[in-house]
Amino acid sequence: MSSTIAIALAVARKDLRAEWRTRELVPALAQFVVLALVIANFGFQIDARNAPTIAPGVLWMALVFAGLVAFGRTFAAEREQSSLEAMLMTPASPVAIFAGKALGATLLLVGCEAVLLPALTLFFGTPLSFPIIATVLLATIGMAALGCLFAAMVARVRARELLLPLLTLPLWIPFIVAGGQAVQVAMGASGTYDQALALLIDFDILFVVLTSLAARFVLDE
Amino acid sequence: MNRYEKAAAAAVALMVLAAGAIFLFAPTDALQGPVQRIFYLHVSSAIAAYGCFAVVLLGGAIYLRSENLAADRLARAGAVVGLVFTTVCLVMGMLWAKPIWGAFWTWDARLTSTLVLWIIYAGYLLVRRLAEPGRQAARFAAVVGIFGFVDVPVVHFSVTWWRTVHPGPVIVNDALPPEMLATFLFTMACTLALAAVMIAIRYRLETLADGPVPEPAKVVAAVGSRDAEPVR
Repeated sequence: MSSTIAIALAVARKDLRAEWRTRELVPALAQFVVLALVIANFGFQIDARNAPTIAPGVLWMALVFAGLVAFGRTFAAEREQSSLEAMLMTPASPVAIFAGKALGATLLLVGCEAVLLPALTLFFGTPLSFPIIATVLLATIGMAALGCLFAAMVARVRARELLLPLLTLPLWIPFIVAGGQAVQVAMGASGTYDQALALLIDFDILFVVLTSLAARFVLDE
Repeated sequence: MNRYEKAAAAAVALMVLAAGAIFLFAPTDALQGPVQRIFYLHVSSAIAAYGCFAVVLLGGAIYLRSENLAADRLARAGAVVGLVFTTVCLVMGMLWAKPIWGAFWTWDARLTSTLVLWIIYAGYLLVRRLAEPGRQAARFAAVVGIFGFVDVPVVHFSVTWWRTVHPGPVIVNDALPPEMLATFLFTMACTLALAAVMIAIRYRLETLADGPVPEPAKVVAAVGSRDAEPVR
């Protein structure tokens, strides 16, 4: 068990170091989410009055599509270098390698969220409070587990850019339902925040367990 | 006629009988009028779709455990047929919703989760098409089928606290008059028989498409080489 964690951390560290040296993904994602806010502004005619009702939707749209790009890239570099096969030939368990990849991708997406949330506050005037940050981080865990699983799958498939959103988005809907409600409440809508957050944690546990069971079949292939 | 043609003819005959029961035997609804007759096939096709996707789940799980090719073919057949019945259910639901709710669609829990179900299994079929045929396609599709089946109740219950306009279960609540209940049960039995026949025919087609099972010696040779023909 401890070796599994050590391997996962090593893989995650490798991915983060590669990102630190190239500085490709996080700046691109940061630009992407700011652009999403700009487009939302023109799409919705945002003013001070309607901003709090529109902002949660814009937040999740930007996050979901940034997540698709981030997780799609997770296995792209490995595929281009054929280095995933090399990693899988080591005695390390595929689940540990997958966990490391997922952890690395999660942290990169968190980096993107560190731009998205302040930008949302800046441009939409919504609060940047602890409940909102907690919701987004909790949703990121489950979304990353699912996103990385399907990114690993489509990396070996034709038309992968096409297939990743089609497979991932429907399975992310529970996180958007619960997370969307929690953020709406945190931004002033009526409803119960605790219930939505508890549901989000349930989904995290369910999908992290399922993903770790399924990862072997996807990576082994 | 071979046995598949006989089974298909029997299933069609049963559906014609069900149509007779729906239009001639069942009473007209006092509030909604004739449009309520959509109910019988709408609910039956939803149940048939759930059954088909349960077949996909079981087939996928068995394939992942034992690499049983027959289980994978069964899952493939279930996905196609299930998608057909989900489409029937959605389209009939929309036709019913327009006169009763005033709109073809509302973002109701039941409707939304059924649409998500449709999208997930359409994705399942896309994975089958885009992955490398053989072991890879079967494994990936099995994973999608399992996650898809788990996701549907999750989506469904995650949105149930929203206000819902879709009626709840009327069968188990004993809310139907006896003629309507009899018509519904008969239609459901016919629809399930139709689904079973469709799965059987689709399974046969998949078996033919897979071709003959390779000799054991060829399997060993193919495993050794990356460029070999995929072993089915």
